[in-house]
Amino acid sequence: MSHWLPRPLLIGALTTLAVIAGLASLLFGAVDLSLDRLVAAASGDGDHIASIILFDLRLPRTLLALAVGAMLGLAGAALQGYLRNPLAEPSVLGTSNAAALGAVAAIYFGLAPLHPAVLPGLAIGCALLSLGLLFLLAGDAESPLTLILAGLAVATLAGAGISLALNLSPNPFAAMEIMTWLLGSLENRSFDHVWIALPCIAIGTAMLLWNGRALDALTLGEDAAQALGADLKRTRRRLLLGTAIGVGGAVAVSGAIGFVGLIVPHLIRPLTDRSPSAILLPSALGGAALLTLADLGVRIIPSTNELKLGVVTAFLGVPIFLIHLMRERRLW
Amino acid sequence: MTRRCRRSAAPFGREATHDRKTHGSERDSKGSGALIASVRRLAVIAAASVVVAGTLSATATRPLPSTRAMSATPAVPQRIMSMNLCTDQLVLALADRQQIAGLTRNATDPGMSDQAAAAQGLPVLRNSAEQILAIDPDLVVGMPASSSPVLAAVAPQRYPLLDLETANRLDQIYRTIDETAAAVGHPVRGAALIAGMKRDLATLPRLGRGRVAAYYQRRGYMTGTGTLVDDMMTRVGLTNLAKTLGKPPLSQFSLEEMVAARPDFLIVERATNVVDDQGSEMLHHPALSDIPRIVVQEAWTVCGSPAYTRAAHSIAAQIARHDRAVR
Repeated sequence: MSHWLPRPLLIGALTTLAVIAGLASLLFGAVDLSLDRLVAAASGDGDHIASIILFDLRLPRTLLALAVGAMLGLAGAALQGYLRNPLAEPSVLGTSNAAALGAVAAIYFGLAPLHPAVLPGLAIGCALLSLGLLFLLAGDAESPLTLILAGLAVATLAGAGISLALNLSPNPFAAMEIMTWLLGSLENRSFDHVWIALPCIAIGTAMLLWNGRALDALTLGEDAAQALGADLKRTRRRLLLGTAIGVGGAVAVSGAIGFVGLIVPHLIRPLTDRSPSAILLPSALGGAALLTLADLGVRIIPSTNELKLGVVTAFLGVPIFLIHLMRERRLW
Repeated sequence: MTRRCRRSAAPFGREATHDRKTHGSERDSKGSGALIASVRRLAVIAAASVVVAGTLSATATRPLPSTRAMSATPAVPQRIMSMNLCTDQLVLALADRQQIAGLTRNATDPGMSDQAAAAQGLPVLRNSAEQILAIDPDLVVGMPASSSPVLAAVAPQRYPLLDLETANRLDQIYRTIDETAAAVGHPVRGAALIAGMKRDLATLPRLGRGRVAAYYQRRGYMTGTGTLVDDMMTRVGLTNLAKTLGKPPLSQFSLEEMVAARPDFLIVERATNVVDDQGSEMLHHPALSDIPRIVVQEAWTVCGSPAYTRAAHSIAAQIARHDRAVR
């Protein structure tokens, strides 16, 4: 398993991949626009239609795919490192669903228009609450499966909460909306959404990247990490807040997109020296590339109704999830 | 008039199946013991009792003089029940208030029902078969009434039904008004209503001048040809974008495609002016901001009803306002 790449090479390659995915996401869509038209629109002297499609529709969607993907990948890598559990990630642990529940409450009960901060605020609050509940339920457990099972309980609870909230809201179109929030979608996003998500994701990313050294120390066990000078309490607080803020802001505009945080660190890990700190930044870049490509797939696969993002990522993620679950079976 | 009064053929049908079953078991039982013979006897007894019960119930529950319902001049029904939001509109417009025994639950919702004010205070059905039994209507109006699953649960043959076609064109609206008016016992009212609509529409200006409009609904659904909305658009001189693109009556059309198609007008429903979910949010995407909008009330377009004329005049007036502003 030692085909690891030198770090600058790895980061360079992943950045290139993310940039290519982003460019592809700008090039393809429901309407076929020639490269010439797009280039003309990008340089400012294109026709009106092409520039609206490029700047008002495709650009915000691409930026969100990159940012949300990066956030989910990074959160997965950080949670897996901190919990020393290969199955930890925001959607498996219920954080994404809880954040979506907060967003649903803000939108469908008319709270979101009160102030621009209400929507991400409620999403972050609910995400934080779910992480708190999770650590309370399974924080000190020996078996990594306890944590996953507790996460499953939190995720199911939050998912049921979303359905219930939409059933109780005065919205007659609830069924369609429930699906969007549980499976995630970046369809029809505008720059308003970018401005909601981006600040939260920036803060979350910064807080999670900060933890690298403490996560490395934690691989030796909590006592050893403390002996090495890691402040575990602070690490835990930063990790919880960073995940909640970043994932909350991302989910508030995209819905709960599953499995990105699970797959990416597993794909990245063999390419690194396997220390938790080494996979943080590459996981963010890989997540950005993966989600952008998945979103591109959603648009390109011909279907009468647009596919939901969570469908594509689940098809990629579930096999990896199952392989790890089989390996862990001896601990049951 | 497609008024139907169907008689129950069920007891005989049931008898026939039982006959076939007993013959079948006879064939199968060749060479088998007494058990099968006794089963066969039981089956015969069961079949006989079903026939008896069926005949009894048929005589008990068929007091309704079907000849009256089928005749050309029906008695004026006194307990009319409507099974559908669109028939609610017609019944409210044509029948007397005390004739109406039940409407659907959306009849009182001003967002969907043009006659919501008139429907206030009238009994609302909750889609429950028990309520139908309790009301014991003497006319059930639906679009069509005979396909209602609730009605099917309570033996629809007990009640006279009025099956109306779904009205997607003006002439169909006239026809449903005519049929309903006759069935509820007020044919003169129906004729007057139709004459009034014709007068109204005679003054409708064709301001569209062939310009292209798209009826764009939440989540990007676009209404196509063969629909009521398409009929209205054509009547005010607009061309339906879905028609020029050869789209089906209802298709999903992405924002990107809409921006590229660049219609002269977007026709949207008034309810979607308020963003309260993701479905309506997309209609307010900045990419659509420079396409002029015509707003119509959903209550006018959801059903082919007398509100057609108001919807058409409202669209024409908004085109006129836009043209004045541009000039």
